[in-house]
This record gives sequence, C-alpha cells and structure tokens, in this order.
Amino acid sequence: MSRLDEAAFAALHARTAGALRAYVYRVVGNAADADDIVQEAFLRMLRGDVPVDSEEHLRRYLYRVASNLVVDRWRRRRHEQAEHLMPEQFSAPPHYENDASVAKIFAELKPRDRALLWLAYVEGESHEEIAASLGVGRRGVRVMLFRARRRLRDLLQARGIPVNS
Amino acid sequence: MTEWFDLNDAEDRALAEFMSRVANLHVPDRGSPIATASDLYCKAALIARWEAERRALRPIDVMQPIEIAGGLFAAGLLLYWSLPHLFL
Repeated sequence: MSRLDEAAFAALHARTAGALRAYVYRVVGNAADADDIVQEAFLRMLRGDVPVDSEEHLRRYLYRVASNLVVDRWRRRRHEQAEHLMPEQFSAPPHYENDASVAKIFAELKPRDRALLWLAYVEGESHEEIAASLGVGRRGVRVMLFRARRRLRDLLQARGIPVNS
Repeated sequence: MTEWFDLNDAEDRALAEFMSRVANLHVPDRGSPIATASDLYCKAALIARWEAERRALRPIDVMQPIEIAGGLFAAGLLLYWSLPHLFL
C-alpha cells in the first residue's frame, strides 16, 4: 500500500480526479473508458507504493499512468476499429461555432497529440513536466508538441478557421 | 510554462483560444455511479491483501505438484523393488 493514509488520499482524489477525468475523457472520447482509466490510475498509485514527496509528484504520476493506459487502450482498439477513437457524439458542422464541433475537431487529432496539447495548453505544463507525465524524453516532447500544434493548426485551417489573422 | 519555438503570435493565440474552448467543454457523466475515494482506497486495500495472500501461498502452489510427482515416483520405485518378492 502507499504511504498515503485514507484522509490524505481522499483530499488528493478530490483535488485531482475532476481534472484528470476531463483530460482522459478529452483524449479517449468516451466517458465510460475515461472513468475506468481514472479509477485504474488511482488504484495503481495506491498499490504502487509511490513515495509521497509532494502532491505535484503524485499528480504527475497519475497523469503518466493515465496516459499510458490511454495509449494501451488506443492500441487495442486500433486493431478492432478504424484508425483512432472518435467521441461518442455528433455530426458537426465544418466550423467551430458550437461545442460539438470544437470536440469533433479535437477528436480528429491522434490521442497522443490530444494528450500533448491538453497538458501544454490546459494544464500549462512545461516540456519537462509533459515528458514526466507522458513518460517520454524532453527532446521528444519538443518535437511531438511541434507536430501536434502544426496538425491542429492545419486542421483549423482546413475548417476555414483563420489562424493567421 | 511551455516554450514555443515554431508558430507566430497569431497562430499561437488561435490555438490557445481553441484549446481554452476544448478545456471548457462539458464532460458527460457515465450514467452509473463512479467509485468514490473511499471505495478506491478499500479496493486497493483488498487487492493488496489478496496479493499478499497469493505471495504467501505461492510456495505451497509450487511445491504441491512436486510433492505429488515425488510421491508417485517413490510409490513406483517401491512397487518396482517389491515386484520380485510379490510373486515368490
């Protein structure tokens, strides 16, 4: 068991579960899968005897485990279905006037790109932090993030959304 | 904060604006109850206990077939040695 006692775990869960679930949901595009992954990430943290250096360390550990689980699931599904996971919803218009079309555009990116963009823009993480969260090298993050941003920019441009004005 | 090195300011603003809309999208509920922190803590404790039991029982699990095989071998050997005397 982790050295976290139940009260400390409950406090950590209360502070991180919502954001972690939003991140995983946006990357996998499925609420049931997101809940399973979040639950599994917390269980692994408790069972893994992760040293409780700081809440930030634990939070990063959770994001790393969740990201790995997302990638595992994505690889499994890729064999079963088409190229990448699409959210449960919508047939969206080509522009992004509403939430459904924003979600649709984001879902067109690969899961790894979604994870990178979320961690960089929404969580505001540095390259080092993203590398730690995703378990990849810092230099790799720079390149992957560059490509992810370029792909998102191209996608927005393809939808006729001005990104240069 | 992440350092950017490739996009111009307008592109960066557009991506940041798009990502802030993504961040504010509604995340739907699953429809069924989600495990609470207390549920997860109990589940982790149960799994840890179950794994400890498995670890404790592993030597028994490993030794059991060896013991059976050894017993059968000894019985066979005994039978082999005693065969000539059985039909005297």
